Amino acid sequence: MKHIKIFLLAIIVLTLAKNESLSQTLNWESLRPEQRHILNVNAGFDYAFTYGIGYGYQLRSKLPIVLNIEHSQPAGDKVFDDFKTKIGGQIRVYQVNNFHFTAKVHGIFRRFENPYVRMLNFGSDMSAIVGYYKPKWFVAGEFGFDKAIVTHFKHSHLSRENFPGVKDGWYEPATGGNFHYGLQTALSFEKSDITLKVGKVVQQDFETNSTVPYYFQIGYNRKF
Amino acid sequence: MKNSTSILMLLLLSVLFFWGCEQELLINESGNLVPKTVDEDPSLPSIRVNGAQFHSEAIGNPTDPMIVVLHGGPGADYRHLLNCKELADNGYYVVFYDQRGAGLSQRFPYSFYTMQVLYDDLRAIIANYRHSPTQQIFLLGHSWGAMLATAYINQYPSEIAGAIIAEPGGLKWDDVEDYLSRSRDFRLFSEGLNDAVFMEQFITGRQNDHAIVDYKYELWAAADEQEDSPTGNEGRLPYWRSGAATSMAYMDLAEKQKPDWTTNLSQYQTKVLFIYSENNKAYGLAHAQKVSSAYPNVELFETLGAGHDMLSFPTGWNNTYPTMLTYLNSLK
Repeated sequence: MKHIKIFLLAIIVLTLAKNESLSQTLNWESLRPEQRHILNVNAGFDYAFTYGIGYGYQLRSKLPIVLNIEHSQPAGDKVFDDFKTKIGGQIRVYQVNNFHFTAKVHGIFRRFENPYVRMLNFGSDMSAIVGYYKPKWFVAGEFGFDKAIVTHFKHSHLSRENFPGVKDGWYEPATGGNFHYGLQTALSFEKSDITLKVGKVVQQDFETNSTVPYYFQIGYNRKF
Repeated sequence: MKNSTSILMLLLLSVLFFWGCEQELLINESGNLVPKTVDEDPSLPSIRVNGAQFHSEAIGNPTDPMIVVLHGGPGADYRHLLNCKELADNGYYVVFYDQRGAGLSQRFPYSFYTMQVLYDDLRAIIANYRHSPTQQIFLLGHSWGAMLATAYINQYPSEIAGAIIAEPGGLKWDDVEDYLSRSRDFRLFSEGLNDAVFMEQFITGRQNDHAIVDYKYELWAAADEQEDSPTGNEGRLPYWRSGAATSMAYMDLAEKQKPDWTTNLSQYQTKVLFIYSENNKAYGLAHAQKVSSAYPNVELFETLGAGHDMLSFPTGWNNTYPTMLTYLNSLK
């Protein structure tokens, strides 16, 4: 089963990569058809204080589709011990006047390391966004689910001193899942958007909260 | 271009395939990420009292005065207090146990835990090992264990011949909150904060998904051991397993009930040895004086060269042990 999951994830990731794909908080009303490329920088709190970069590519298609790749990592003394990379896209599936309905799907690869363990995870993030969009601004609500589908654990010598029998390897069933919901908004200029996202995170049982059950992100998009 | 993409895909799929050939493991199974508990592993030393199976051992001559060692947490275990075995060489019967749901003791659901359960467990542990009604009983509590020792003395002041109280966060909830705000002062941009919270997107579990939340709690607690932690330990503490359900239950109970374990301490006129550490910057003399003042008769002692877990590392233990022994011998 796990092989199939990994295989499917790899196919999704590679297919999207092959199309030079790569997602951000977007204002559909300000994104012109000739603006094919979107660069993004952002910072905020996403389980930890993080900063990130992203690139988006607008396809020539009937429905507006932007494929994107994002990389973010938390602040801290060690630079590459923890990070999250998302690859996928967003599609505006429906529009009524200034109301836009958007679907986002991303494959996730993330890493965590502390003195006891290193974890590598393949996951997915699916979101729905509904909002009111104008050329100079928008406000939208988002609801999504981030699933940690399969995780590889590798424990350190320090960890084995405490528990010699600790087992390394791929763990299942899915090791985690969190819903997230909130608001996103932006101010748009000629070729730029200043974006803001705020919201709440709750575990998949809809009861248990994370230590910091909120997220926020401020970002800047440059379109060309 | 097409060829190179195909080769890249093949390589990536091969790597993923060989990774995938490792045995799949269940995250919710004891013995994989966290050790089995006494009810799952009969080879562990245990006793069954008060309706639960406890990971427990006793060292020394059973007729000597008994010292019951109470570990911290809530939810930690007695592994980091094993230096206290040395007391058995000096005429004491030393009893260790992992509190209910903690360490390698049997787990219970989150909703099971109350302070009365802890008192009843401790009473039952004492009764299990007690050789005679005249045998003296001392309590040695560290951190949360020192709070439990005080709560027990507050409840049953006539039962305890003396107590060593090592750096309890507080004996009233306000003092505990005050201490926690200083000792868990994570900086927003620190590696310590990352280590505590970034993994929450990898692992999630309900309160009673024990194997999952115990492991997650261990990772969370490990962040307390950063080099820049104000608690000032010499190194990382050894442990068996962190009991997440018991830890969350007692922290939630305390936040709701805001306990005061000093209301009856005026009845306890026996001298208490109250220990605090030089290197725990979140504690200090002022907090030690404030917390210990609830005891009518107290000897305050500062362990030099050690942090919060002063009984677990060589410097702290060597600097504290002679004072502990002198105190205990004075009450024999």
